[in-house]
Amino acid sequence: MNQMTPHAQPDPIQPSAVSVRGLRKRYGALEVLKGIDFDARRGEVVSILGSSGSGKSTLLRCINMLEIPEAGTVTVDGTEIALIAQRGGGRQPADARAMDRMRARIGMVFQDFNLWSHKTVLGNVIEAPTHVQKRPRADCITEARALLDKVGIADKADQYPSRLSGGQQQRAAIARALAMNPTVMLFDEPTSALDPELVGEVLRVIRALAEEGRTMLIVTHEVNFARDISDTVVFMNEGVIEESGPPEEVFAAGNNTRLARFIEG
Amino acid sequence: MLDTLTMFGFGPEGWGPAMLRAAANTVAVAAAGFALGGGLGILVAWAKIAGNAPLRWLAAAYTTILRGIPDLLVIYLFYFGSGLLLTPIANMFGVEGFVSFPGFVAGMGAIGVVSGAYHAEVIRGAFYSVKAGELEAATAMGMPRLLKFRRITLPLVARHALPGLGNVWQMVLKESALISVTGLVEIMRQAQIGSSFTRQPFTFYFAAGVLFLTITILSGLIFNRLEHRYSRGRA
Amino acid sequence: MDFEFLGQTFLKLLPGIPVTLELATLSLLLGACLALAFAVIRVRRIRPLNWLVIGYVYVFRGTPLLVQMFIIYYGLAQFPEIRNSFAWTYLREPYWCALLALVLNTAAYGSEILRGALLSVPRGQIMAAQACGMSGFLLFRRISFPIALRQALPAYGNEFILMIKATSLASLVTLADVTGIAARIIAETYRPVEVFVAAGTIYLAISYGLILLVRLAETRLNPDQRDPAPVARVDAARKEVTP
Ligand SMILES: Nc1ncnc2c1ncn2[C@@H]1O[C@H](COP(=O)(O)OP(=O)(O)OP(=O)(O)O)[C@@H](O)[C@H]1O
Ligand SMILES: [Mg+2]
Repeated sequence: MNQMTPHAQPDPIQPSAVSVRGLRKRYGALEVLKGIDFDARRGEVVSILGSSGSGKSTLLRCINMLEIPEAGTVTVDGTEIALIAQRGGGRQPADARAMDRMRARIGMVFQDFNLWSHKTVLGNVIEAPTHVQKRPRADCITEARALLDKVGIADKADQYPSRLSGGQQQRAAIARALAMNPTVMLFDEPTSALDPELVGEVLRVIRALAEEGRTMLIVTHEVNFARDISDTVVFMNEGVIEESGPPEEVFAAGNNTRLARFIEG
Repeated sequence: MLDTLTMFGFGPEGWGPAMLRAAANTVAVAAAGFALGGGLGILVAWAKIAGNAPLRWLAAAYTTILRGIPDLLVIYLFYFGSGLLLTPIANMFGVEGFVSFPGFVAGMGAIGVVSGAYHAEVIRGAFYSVKAGELEAATAMGMPRLLKFRRITLPLVARHALPGLGNVWQMVLKESALISVTGLVEIMRQAQIGSSFTRQPFTFYFAAGVLFLTITILSGLIFNRLEHRYSRGRA
Repeated sequence: MDFEFLGQTFLKLLPGIPVTLELATLSLLLGACLALAFAVIRVRRIRPLNWLVIGYVYVFRGTPLLVQMFIIYYGLAQFPEIRNSFAWTYLREPYWCALLALVLNTAAYGSEILRGALLSVPRGQIMAAQACGMSGFLLFRRISFPIALRQALPAYGNEFILMIKATSLASLVTLADVTGIAARIIAETYRPVEVFVAAGTIYLAISYGLILLVRLAETRLNPDQRDPAPVARVDAARKEVTP
């Protein structure tokens, strides 16, 4: 088992885009993450596989601190998010503003899109750039239109999310995340809420981003897709990283019976 | 028929202007109470959603009590209760007799406190009908708390709350008729004055009913417009 | 707070309780019957009654109950025809006027609740009944109405509470219900706080009792949602004796 030897070695000159050390998270009695160490270089595409309940979503949510881990550190772009002990156990961010600044540099794409229903697609995309990054509205709109064009829904800019198909909503959500020009993109099962015939259009967009050299962490059940686009595949089981490496290695037959069983489905 | 027309006309003998002024008072006191109740409702809903145990308990007690006690009693409490505070002070300054809040203030306070309980329930329900993921998406984009509240939470909750708030407004309008017991010359009180003056109670109370109906219909139309406008994008 | 005065007030308010309860019960019962009739007229679109009911509901929900009560009690006396008719025996009495206003008012609100409930009865269940050969009143009595009733109960429970509060308006046409007595004591003593507490407690107790009754009715009417534990226990006990 090579869980303790992360595939991507930290580069002292160029810091990792994301670096996770000793991450632990529990819900009550259930320990969901049991010490995760993990690095993603800039431009690296990492797929995270694992059976249901193995802690993949929790890992992503700890990276942008939607869940606060009990132990361990998360470093994004060389900046660690400082957590301090809380009264009555648990931790909290030492500086809420710093945490928000970090979150602004991490794009997150949710399984069920979570587009804001009171705003148009364009409104969704420019919301954070104009109000969190406080960039000029006109620039944001130009950029947003370009992004919507890139994900193939330029014609839907002025529609409300409820009028879009699932695939279109997910592509809008990707554009919304990209609009912040994030250091790293997190995808939590971006296609599993979609009808089968809509999966392809979203995967195509993600693949294009991978080819552009974006740093991405993708939780997915699409094994073939993961094999195709990833530089690194991480296999999680019961809160630990059981396998991690280039797809050719990780998917080599007979490597890990649990992984083999997972791939078989 | 002709008599009735002259009676509610705008001539020197007519009650028209007085009734219209009274209608304006009704709308004013109802609107003031509604606004006060809205503010209270936000606080109480917040206590119910995010408060600690004592706050939640207080909020629950408040909504249960005020939704179970007749508004008339609350109005008496505000009107005579304020007298309890103000009369000794006024007497100290040489003013004789019973002194209380003016009917408008007492009425606004009573309506505000009563409708606050209904506001709170509407707002709380609206908050829980907002999809948690939409709020989480805002956090994930790095929105600070206040920005997220202002740009995402508030508009989403408001959209879900609008139909319920429309109902609360209609209720407040109709309850405002009870404020006539404080002597505030709103529609009902004006109708009482008119009917004892002319000995035509039916005519005056009927006119009061027509005025109220007009106001409720108009406000229903306005709320429909608002709902239509703010429900864009809702599935 | 003066507890002795509070106790005295409480005792003085007791005679008002039957008045309040009677007004509430009678108006709710009579109002519900009217409401059901109105709801059926609306759902079945029985013309031209349909239009009358729509207008009626609109007017009674769009104006304050106080206006309705004053029109009936003070207003009708304006017409000699009414004063000379047999109805005057009742219409001159504040009790019957208050009751009439409460009934007409709650019927308007109640009919909308029942109409919504009737409309929400799933088509499929009605078709299933028709497939069994049911129709007309039998179908309504055995299928539509019971299903609608379960649907309507929570909202109607709310209406119950609102009506208990609404009976307090009877005090403004001189009736000595709980609020009427309370108002008199306040005017005599200028001690609104204690009186408010005593009267408020009575209303809360009545409302609470009513909520319990509604809950009871809900569990009685929805056996499928009742706690299945006792049945399970019986099963478990049986299993123990079988080898
Ligand atoms: N907020 C929470 N409270 C309590 N338990 C939780 C919470 N979130 C997740 N869990 C539990 O933590 C475990 C890991 O959850 P997680 O969502 O990270 O799994 P996952 O690998 O993403 O699974 P899936 O493939 O089904 O999405 C599960 O057992 C889940 O029930
Ligand atoms: Mg998951």
